[in-house]
Amino acid sequence: MAGSQDMFDAIVMADERFHGEGYREGYEEGSSLGVMEGRQHGSLQGARIGSEIGCYQGFAFAWKCLLHSCTAEKDSRKMKVLESLIGMIQKFPYDDPTYDKLHEDLDKIRGKFKQFCSLLNVQPDFKISAEGSGLSF
Amino acid sequence: MKDSLVLLGRVPAHPDSRCWFLAWNPAGTLLASCGGDRRIRIWGTEGDSWICKSVISEGHQRTVRKVAWSPCGNYLASASFDATTCIWKKNQDDFECVTTLEGHENEVKSVAWAPSGNLLATCSRDKSVWVWEVDEEDEYECVSVLNSHTQDVKHVVWHPSQELLASASYDDTVKLYREEEDDWVCCATLEGHESTVWSLAFDPSGQRLASCSDDRTVRIWRQYPPGNEQGVACSGSDPNWKCVCTLSGFHSRTIYDIAWCQLTGALATACGDDAIRVFEEDPNSDPQQPTFSLTAHLHQAHSQDVNCVAWNPKEPGLLASCSDDGEVAFWKYQRPEGL
Repeated sequence: MAGSQDMFDAIVMADERFHGEGYREGYEEGSSLGVMEGRQHGSLQGARIGSEIGCYQGFAFAWKCLLHSCTAEKDSRKMKVLESLIGMIQKFPYDDPTYDKLHEDLDKIRGKFKQFCSLLNVQPDFKISAEGSGLSF
Repeated sequence: MKDSLVLLGRVPAHPDSRCWFLAWNPAGTLLASCGGDRRIRIWGTEGDSWICKSVISEGHQRTVRKVAWSPCGNYLASASFDATTCIWKKNQDDFECVTTLEGHENEVKSVAWAPSGNLLATCSRDKSVWVWEVDEEDEYECVSVLNSHTQDVKHVVWHPSQELLASASYDDTVKLYREEEDDWVCCATLEGHESTVWSLAFDPSGQRLASCSDDRTVRIWRQYPPGNEQGVACSGSDPNWKCVCTLSGFHSRTIYDIAWCQLTGALATACGDDAIRVFEEDPNSDPQQPTFSLTAHLHQAHSQDVNCVAWNPKEPGLLASCSDDGEVAFWKYQRPEGL
């Protein structure tokens, strides 16, 4: 009697069993495709942010050299802002994408950079793209 | 309520265009208006009527959205959609541009002078608020670029006595900023409005802030410093702000501007339903839960949206308003009897 129950089970539950197997296979494949897509996306976003901050850093170091002889009282704010910008860029946690204040700190760096440009009376024109950044004046 | 707001006169300030904003000079003798025609006009009284004493026609390539007088009354700042802010020095009836502040990426929406006269704030559609410092030689320097809002910033206003700045945004919030070690930081975010916050006004004491919104409400916020009697919790040394009153059901469209009279405490609003309303705080209301009553409601104050209302700083009850219809109107407000 038990034997014929199993036989019927095998037939009756076939649909559900195949459905289950198919779901598990699909889930695994989807997960690994998702991880790949996520990695690509993260890589792109990360590159953009790194590229943007890299531009600011290059800009800041170049100006640090150019202004190195500036000791006048009226230049004190310029120098303070420059040091602050360099400090913020160096403190930025490049290896922790889960840092909870990532976007807040990035906005602060952007704000400091804009303030520095305003004090220099320079209007740089950034083109930040996946292919790399360009800087034109 | 019918006679509490009486029309004194109208002028076609910005013909064939919109009049966006008005500002009385600190002495209360002149009114500056600005508009979509890219011009700024200065109005003064001659007998019983208002006449145009000066026009500033060069200076901006696009709409002038806001104007603000310095606390000393000798300078006028203008914020424009052309992404610049101009500072004009007054010399009798002439205005000379002393400097143009650049830096915003797109339309500048507001400009405001701090009560000390040494600081200026601007805000823009680029989502940022800039704080500028001016020295004795009329040199302006950017002191901070604040990226706290997540959308277009519509308005900035300074506290009447403290160096505290408030901003209103399309992101539905109001933010407050103060100086901390040579830089400016956002010290509070006021959430509650369900849509764009268009304008702000501090009460005469600076303890309360009124905000008006596209959600058709006015909210009154109160400052609770650390260690306050009411036991309102504060984090760190920054005061906490709580919404203590919401005026809803009075306006049928977006409220574009709000003005808190520094002489009488009356609150005026400019609405997209073409009306001007005035509210007064009930005499025995609880400071922690104040109640306000509508004391004037003037339908069709203008033929289109009212963009701005401004109380004269010296003459109690004198109110100016302007509209998309290009006109400026002057009103006499009298608190109704028996209130």
